[in-house]
Amino acid sequence: MRAVLSSYYVRQFGKALFTIVFVTSLIFFLIRLMPTNPIEKYVNDLMINEGRSREEALNEARNIFAIDLDAPMYMQYLDYVSKLAKGDLGMSLLSRGTPVADIIKTVLPWTVFSVGVSLLVSFIVGALLGTVIAYRRGSVLDPIVSALSSLLSAIPSYLQAILLIVVLGVTIKINGKSLVPITQMRGAYTPGIQPGFTWAFVKDAFFHAALPISVYILTTVGGWTLAMKSNTINTLGEDYVTVARARGLSDGRITTAYVGRNALLPLVSQLAISIGFAFGGSLLIETYFVYPGIGKRLGAAVTNRDYPVMQGIFLMITFVVIFSNLFADLLYSVLDPRIRVGGKGE
Amino acid sequence: MSDDAVRSTTVYQRTVKDVLLGIWGSIARFFRLMARNRLGFVGFLIILFYFIVSFLGPLVMPVDNNTKVDRIFERPSWRHPLGMDHQGRDVLSQVVNGGRDILTTALLAALISTAIGITLGALASVIGGGVDNLLVMVADIFMAIPQIPLLVVLAGFVQVSSMALLALILAVLSWPGLFRAVRAQVLSLRERDYVEAAVLLDLGTGHIIFREILPNMMSYIAISFAFSMTGAIYSQTALVLLGLVPFSSQNWGVMISIAWTRGAIFYRDAAVYILAPVFTIAIFQLAMVWMTRSLEEVFNPRLRARA
Amino acid sequence: MEETIVQQLPWSKGQAEEALLSVRDMWIEYQAARGAVKAVRGVDFDIFPGESMALIGESGCGKTTLGLGIIRLLVKTAEIKRGQVIYRRDGAAVDVRSMDEEQLRQFRWQDCAMVFQSALSAFNPVLRIRDQMYETVKAHRSASRAEVTEIAHPLLRRVQLEPERVLRAYPHELSGGMRQRVLIAMALLLNPPMIILDEPTTALDILTQRTIIDLLRALQSDFRFAMMFISHDLSLAAELANHVATMYAGCIVEYGTVNQIFYEPRHPYTLGLIKAVPTVTGDFEDLSSIAGTPPDLIDLPSGCKFHVRCPLATRRCKEEEPELMHIGPEHAAACFYTDEVERQADRAWEEIRNPQGEPL
Repeated sequence: MRAVLSSYYVRQFGKALFTIVFVTSLIFFLIRLMPTNPIEKYVNDLMINEGRSREEALNEARNIFAIDLDAPMYMQYLDYVSKLAKGDLGMSLLSRGTPVADIIKTVLPWTVFSVGVSLLVSFIVGALLGTVIAYRRGSVLDPIVSALSSLLSAIPSYLQAILLIVVLGVTIKINGKSLVPITQMRGAYTPGIQPGFTWAFVKDAFFHAALPISVYILTTVGGWTLAMKSNTINTLGEDYVTVARARGLSDGRITTAYVGRNALLPLVSQLAISIGFAFGGSLLIETYFVYPGIGKRLGAAVTNRDYPVMQGIFLMITFVVIFSNLFADLLYSVLDPRIRVGGKGE
Repeated sequence: MSDDAVRSTTVYQRTVKDVLLGIWGSIARFFRLMARNRLGFVGFLIILFYFIVSFLGPLVMPVDNNTKVDRIFERPSWRHPLGMDHQGRDVLSQVVNGGRDILTTALLAALISTAIGITLGALASVIGGGVDNLLVMVADIFMAIPQIPLLVVLAGFVQVSSMALLALILAVLSWPGLFRAVRAQVLSLRERDYVEAAVLLDLGTGHIIFREILPNMMSYIAISFAFSMTGAIYSQTALVLLGLVPFSSQNWGVMISIAWTRGAIFYRDAAVYILAPVFTIAIFQLAMVWMTRSLEEVFNPRLRARA
Repeated sequence: MEETIVQQLPWSKGQAEEALLSVRDMWIEYQAARGAVKAVRGVDFDIFPGESMALIGESGCGKTTLGLGIIRLLVKTAEIKRGQVIYRRDGAAVDVRSMDEEQLRQFRWQDCAMVFQSALSAFNPVLRIRDQMYETVKAHRSASRAEVTEIAHPLLRRVQLEPERVLRAYPHELSGGMRQRVLIAMALLLNPPMIILDEPTTALDILTQRTIIDLLRALQSDFRFAMMFISHDLSLAAELANHVATMYAGCIVEYGTVNQIFYEPRHPYTLGLIKAVPTVTGDFEDLSSIAGTPPDLIDLPSGCKFHVRCPLATRRCKEEEPELMHIGPEHAAACFYTDEVERQADRAWEEIRNPQGEPL
């Protein structure tokens, strides 16, 4: 039994679960205990502005926030948790009558799409580029790529977004038309095209996601490149690479199974962290490019003080990030045999 | 003269002048060390420049608050190198004045964050046991929650009216990074010979932490401080751009936000108005990254011994 | 037209054409920031099939570089400036230096295997031992997993390891000593005619050293491979070698049979090394070490490179560098005063024998 409990997987799962519980409770208490309690404020607003009785106002608040104000705290908490488990995140304040869960269902896929594609491309390109540079250390490529990489990762993503829009969309104009049709690229897909797994739709979706994806990639590829470069250089200096060459293994085999795989390992654990960053960046990037993802929706919700939506989306994002972390951890333990036993070998 | 008399006169001869020379010597040495890494030195100079301009500049170049309708989005000229904004006000003076609040908040946030990180890190690794486990878990949880969304939601609930409060919030979200690093370093350094020697000599926990271990981590701490600052600027600007931090003052982020909403993206001439603060922030972040390379060399003597 | 005919070395035990490996005039240099490091300067020797040769010297004398140079596994900053490395098998001879990538790859491990100093990180941490065994064989010829397993089992048992457990394991699951033995077993996978061992016992504790030494001796007598081992430990040579070459500042300064080197050294450096080895019964006053430190290989002294530390040095030693000279059957030394060394060596052995009255 002890072996199972101390198993690496179980521990990681437990930690993830605990974090989620912690975050949901945090949100709950924030709403209830903040001096400017949004629920009270809402109830008061209703009573004052719409002349409702406290009961009616409370009812409505209960529906919208998924919280019952008059019941004792622990009951409210239980109620809150049980509603969460059922997937009831309350109703939006702004769009009256729309369940938060539905809103999330509409916007989340687009962010997952754009962030997912970017992460994949950025990781693969960065890993390949990093390996190439590590092998060709003295060449012209090395300083150029390294400089570019640190440049791109230092400038905040939302500023790069603004730069792209201003420079490509406004400043450079050929024949009166901007280089990149920014205004046309707003939204997730061109209105009129039928959503579905058709080539036309997929192409259109990529067209509209091109700008956010470009910015995500530009901001992150540098980091992957530099990380892979330094990992590869370190791995190349390891004894087992020299021994592998002495054993007469082919260069291809050494580059992939010996250098590549060992250099890539630490990057996998970084993958998890970068998902968190990507969601964070999505807030501003989707706003600027007018891309209807979960980030933009959260931004709008915060600006409009639409608390149920804020709470629901934040929970959702945290949930996704934590589970991505868990997944990346598990992936890492699958790839690195030294981790599996949950401790040192021997 | 007897030996004692000689000794006492020598002691009294350490004047103010000597102390000042000593300080000057340290500063000179610091500059020389920073200069070893050329790119890093450039970054350092840029940062210095930013600080000087942001804190002293406003005295020389106050913000021009007069609306001049006839000069809206005027192009850059010799008198107004960065042109005019949507109300005909000089852009350059706005840029010069825009750094003070941002840099102050960033410095404050980095200071608090570093202080918390070091203290908790050292405590956790030295005390160990339950305290250590608890702190590590707390840090893990903080690190697992995506920062910007958390910040955004917090800002939605809490009225962030003062710089100090903002700095505090930023610090509270970023201490786990340095905490982990300090803890890991202290744990590994604890095994080193000079620490064992100090323990054997019974020099006391405080002494061990502050006189043996921390000085060897200085490069780490300095670099973490720098990164804390860049992170603070990133987060601040994001909050400002989302409209969550009230526009009470001159601020590069505020400039970008206003430029964006006032249509600077539609007029070619107005591009300078929005690009100026964007480049200002971008260059600062870049310079910070470059500077950390020099910082590494300054604080880590082993890296200096390059032929 | 590659040159595979080599000069005969007068002190070699046989005809050069019968040697397994002939190294001639080997010069290897590294590029360092301060200048060129002349690690190997004109080395000549032959290794015959089934015999074992020890290459002894202090750290930094170029012996590891020489070993790596033979299989051309040097780092990019190193270059073989000149020399021949002639390898002979089944009547054919080839210069390793003239091999192309593919030939060189085949040559490594199959014809000449190299076992490195510390096997602690000699294996890929993410692959099981059996996979690494398999790919080693696969790299040289086609083979099935079953075939490789069949070959590996007896080899692993021969090095006193449990085949099933070891094959299934990841490197980190085995102890350092076990990994060293797995590496030795792996070296025998393709039954190479020659194995180079670089400091095979240095990183091990004394008990494991004993095991490895006995193991190597037994394996060599069973498998009949030629062995060249590189070490700073002269006593290792006493255990395992037929011939010993002492190396100093990139050159071989003395070459001979193991008995000659121990009982009849003719170079002051060799004598110094021998005197520095404590005897089992010896008194500590007799223990001496060679004064001074190894020379800077970038900025070498003039004349004989050992003259700075040599108690017998004269002006001639400072101006002229002696070459390896044939001084006896299978014996050569690079010194102008081998007679004086002979006198000192005889005296030293007398002193050792005298107290107990028994030869060692």
